Amino acid sequence: MYIRVLHWQPNAGHTVSSQILAEVSQCVESINGVKEGKWKATLSFYRPVLKEQANAAEFPRDFLGISLPEQPSKYYFVLRGQRLVLEADSTIQTIMEKLQSYKTRVALNFEGFQYQLGDFQLRVGKVVSIQSESLRGIVMEMEYRPISSWEKSHKIMGEFFDIWQEALSKRSLPGHFVHMEPNFGEFGLSGQYTLQHTAVQYATIMLQMIATAQSVRN
Amino acid sequence: MECVVQGIIETQHVEALEILLLGLCGVHRVRLRVHELCLKSGPNLGSEASEVRLLCDLEQPEPTWTVRHVGGSMRGAGADQISVLVRTMVESKVSKNVLRLFYLLGYKLDHELLRVGFAFHFQRSAQITVTVSSVNKMLKLHATDEAVPVTPGIQLVEVTAPASAENYNEVAAAVSSFCEYLAPLLHLSKPGVSTGVVPTAAAAAASLMSYGGTTIM
Repeated sequence: MYIRVLHWQPNAGHTVSSQILAEVSQCVESINGVKEGKWKATLSFYRPVLKEQANAAEFPRDFLGISLPEQPSKYYFVLRGQRLVLEADSTIQTIMEKLQSYKTRVALNFEGFQYQLGDFQLRVGKVVSIQSESLRGIVMEMEYRPISSWEKSHKIMGEFFDIWQEALSKRSLPGHFVHMEPNFGEFGLSGQYTLQHTAVQYATIMLQMIATAQSVRN
Repeated sequence: MECVVQGIIETQHVEALEILLLGLCGVHRVRLRVHELCLKSGPNLGSEASEVRLLCDLEQPEPTWTVRHVGGSMRGAGADQISVLVRTMVESKVSKNVLRLFYLLGYKLDHELLRVGFAFHFQRSAQITVTVSSVNKMLKLHATDEAVPVTPGIQLVEVTAPASAENYNEVAAAVSSFCEYLAPLLHLSKPGVSTGVVPTAAAAAASLMSYGGTTIM
């Protein structure tokens, strides 16, 4: 398994829409992607419960909790600023609730359909806020199944990505998919791909999506 | 949720206890070497102080980590009538950088211990675990190779069983009933209710050693 997570970057002056999501899904099917079923990942922001707000800077500002479809019994914490990723049993969420030192604030769902193309699996998903159900973005996961080594999969993934970008460009959509590969080594992760790598990619995407949303507002 | 009782036994009688447990449980013991770190929230974090325990199993080829939260115990007339402690308990296995995570979240190390001993895991109307261990403190931070017993000559025995809101009465009864077999050697009670060593322990241990001493080898 080696996965690359992409997110939709709208062109200046444009926003993401369900029409774009539909076009992306149709594009996958046009390159013979076979629809397999649904998928869902979730991302939560954890904020400290403080006695005095003045000391907020002592505590991490980007403490994220992520659940991934491949392992429903696991949960992932990412402290992006401190380059820390942790894999835990999903009961860690209950522990955090009982500690009451951190509360979950905004939560996002990533959900959609997955498709099989030979040795690749593609997941196309909308990013939806749990509170408002409004469409916040579009993500894609590209998975190369046979090999978990970054070194060996990197080139093959790059070639597949180019094929995909070319197919999508024919639809002249107002935007494109972006991949920003985090420095996995900084997170203490090895060259063998794991779901902790995926969690770090989702955490990185959040930063990109927040930046995009802020630039649109500005 | 879990049901818990504890007791103490003199180290000289541990071998006899092991013989007794081997006969009662019908399974082999597993070695126990657990580094336990108790973390507490810093002064500004949370509307109330919170506590969490990190357990590092040093007996595995690669140390494995677990986070454990022990909550409040059952109170009231119903709880008083049960001879075991029933309390909420949640555990999660975690990857190895969990200590760094909790430090970054604002937790501080309150104290650390090293528990060394053995455990029996078996089924007897409930999934029961008996651990017999010496509790050791570290003279230097995290120095598990230089730990010394907190109470030399005395070891802690703990009997625990996972339970749920639906079945804790049955689980408590199973634990209680099992503990009666250990009565000649030690008295087990709710944590916090100290009972000391049992006067018949020496005689019971001698009896066990003479009958079963060779089977341990």
